[in-house]
Amino acid sequence: MFHWKIGTAALLSAALIGGSAVFLAATPLFAQETVKLELWSRQDPSGPLRPGNLIKAAERLNKELAAEGTSKRVEVVVRESPAKGFDDDALQLLKVFGIGEGPDIFIAAHEWICAFQEDGFVLKLDDYIAKYPQHFGTIFPSLWSSAKCPDGTYAIPQDAEARMFFYNKKLLREAGYDAAFVDAMPERALSGDLTMDEVLEIAKQVVDKTKAQYGVLHRPNKGPDYIMVFQAYGSDFVDPETGKLLLERDKLAAAFGWFERGAKEGVIPANNTAMEFDALRKEFYTGNAAFFMYGIWDLGSVGFPTYGLPQDEKAFFADWGWIAGPAPKKGGSPVSLTHPIVYAIAADTKEPELAARLVGHASAADLNTDHAVTTTHLGIKPEQLEDPRYIKAWPLARATELLKITKFLPNNSQFAELNGIIYAGIQGIESGRLSAQKAADFVIEEASSTLEDVIVK
Amino acid sequence: MTTIADELTIERRGHAGSVARRRTNFVIFLGPAIILTVLFFVVPVVIDVAVSFTDLSRSLRISEFTTEQYEKVFRTDRRLSQVIGLTFIYVFGTLAIFNVTFGLILAVATTAIRNASGSFFRGVWLLPRMSPSVLYILLWLWAVSPTEAGLINQVLMQAFGLDAPLDLLTSAPIALIIISNGFIGASMGMIIFTAAIRSIPEHLYHAAAVDGAGTFAKIRFITLPALRWPISFVTIYQTLSLLVSFEYILLLTKGGPFYDTTVYALYVYRRAFESGQYGYGAALALFLIVIGVVVALLGWRFFDMERLLQRPRIEVH
Repeated sequence: MFHWKIGTAALLSAALIGGSAVFLAATPLFAQETVKLELWSRQDPSGPLRPGNLIKAAERLNKELAAEGTSKRVEVVVRESPAKGFDDDALQLLKVFGIGEGPDIFIAAHEWICAFQEDGFVLKLDDYIAKYPQHFGTIFPSLWSSAKCPDGTYAIPQDAEARMFFYNKKLLREAGYDAAFVDAMPERALSGDLTMDEVLEIAKQVVDKTKAQYGVLHRPNKGPDYIMVFQAYGSDFVDPETGKLLLERDKLAAAFGWFERGAKEGVIPANNTAMEFDALRKEFYTGNAAFFMYGIWDLGSVGFPTYGLPQDEKAFFADWGWIAGPAPKKGGSPVSLTHPIVYAIAADTKEPELAARLVGHASAADLNTDHAVTTTHLGIKPEQLEDPRYIKAWPLARATELLKITKFLPNNSQFAELNGIIYAGIQGIESGRLSAQKAADFVIEEASSTLEDVIVK
Repeated sequence: MTTIADELTIERRGHAGSVARRRTNFVIFLGPAIILTVLFFVVPVVIDVAVSFTDLSRSLRISEFTTEQYEKVFRTDRRLSQVIGLTFIYVFGTLAIFNVTFGLILAVATTAIRNASGSFFRGVWLLPRMSPSVLYILLWLWAVSPTEAGLINQVLMQAFGLDAPLDLLTSAPIALIIISNGFIGASMGMIIFTAAIRSIPEHLYHAAAVDGAGTFAKIRFITLPALRWPISFVTIYQTLSLLVSFEYILLLTKGGPFYDTTVYALYVYRRAFESGQYGYGAALALFLIVIGVVVALLGWRFFDMERLLQRPRIEVH
């Protein structure tokens, strides 16, 4: 009995001492404060590392916080939105903010950022950008304009890309163009020698002389690419002095005229806007269309993996290629468009400093390169250009040439709505419901009646 | 022995009891329906009216109460007249061709043949209604695909030697939305008309046959007069249903090409949810409610529904 008591006492003492040791050792853990930062991100197969890099950035930030001796630790909680595009996603997120359920950080298409700024939902970042040059100091200066609203910078560029006219060299050769002519097209486009109407002529030859059914295809939904055509014909959509939306009837009619000529010649299909996106891509990548107006990332997301386009640079350029948006007439300026996606921080986040630092770490060159090379998007920092992985991803280096002439969509809070009207105009023309002039009139009437402060010239 | 006063008291008590019972019955039997109507019709209408007098936009914030939305409806919206015209064509076309006429033909035809065959064909025509709307429209999209793989093009090109595939979504979008909605709408009329035809006493047909009536005379003089009430009901019900439904159109044509198949309800949806103009969408929706109520009342009057709803004076057994 006595032995048993001693044994019990020994066991209890051991348990007590052990428990105390564990408790004492674990005390710093209990003292830690975990800050949950909610991230709003669209489910987007063309950029899974946009949220993914923020999660990785949390590890880096937490190490930094530990080294600083602070007790706070960051955890990123992702709220994925099922929206099918960035426009739908932004409309949804505006409602979420409107009812006070907004996240701490969100990912958006850059042209929406001023809509969030106008309603006071997004944090102004100029001070943080200046405070953390190690994170934001080397981001390409040209990208910052995509993150600015009239009174400051409200977002951090997450990536860039280039929009262009892809073309099928094989079809052009079959249509009778010699290889030298076909290979020289990118150069001619960049120098302003190749014109928009020449693209239609070439496409017409392809449709007439080969088995290919389509001359030029463009996206079948509202988006940025076709805005290139409007920019080529001189529409920038924003009055530089006032920042208000600007619609110039003649320039609009000129751009719509290109679509009208394309549709009348049977080069742009009348049902382009009614086609399914996947079906439309298939037409181009399987050799049933001469040109496809889209963006560089589609090679990485669809062209290489789904349709087996050659991943070797030489082999790719033997039968495929791309040109900048050509000039409207010889000697004019070519165009390209980049459409950065941005990180933004909610105005009402309780931890703006931590959120800014988190976004800073997510913008690290190596993490951004992970995103760039896996999804064929352009990087945001010059140091990425030296990364062997980036160099190996030749579509990025080649598409970077277009950044010299690239433009952005205007950062006007109403542009997304205007774009919907422009898209309806294109649909009206291609399906034979509107002439180019009528489409310009339609856009002006519709925009004037539904949007505010539209300047019409 | 009771006095007249006592009798009056008893009568009054009985009357009072019957009033209380009637009130209880009213609450028990009509209460749930009234609650549902208030919750799902009256309250939304009140909210819609309230929202239509605000500037509620994409961030769901109201900064002022205004009549601006109604000014837009009446002054600046140039799409509205086209949209209203199209809605009339769509509703009238679907109703006249499919929901009533074709439904009636199906009912008459399937009740004229053997019972098993009739049931089979009615079952087939019910399939579109039983299919999920997305699946139904996916089949349509395949059928009208502008490529050689589309069902209609396969038939036309292989059986009839058509050279190039047809693009019906671009060349005949209005006909397509009428047909795709009509195939579903016809089944409701078919069921109701079939039930009504089955309730017509058999001996009337025998008597007509004895009088020398042929098939068409029987339909003309016995079947159709007996279907007046169901036809009236189907017409009013389906008119209201077509006025507010747009999901098949949204899935099939997205309202396009251009605004060619944007009916009023879809127009409201596009304004409110695709552009984030909720205040304007609410003002437009209010007119849809008004149009619905007016159409229902006109239909009630036109078809003399009040008389049709009265208890029949002569029972036929």
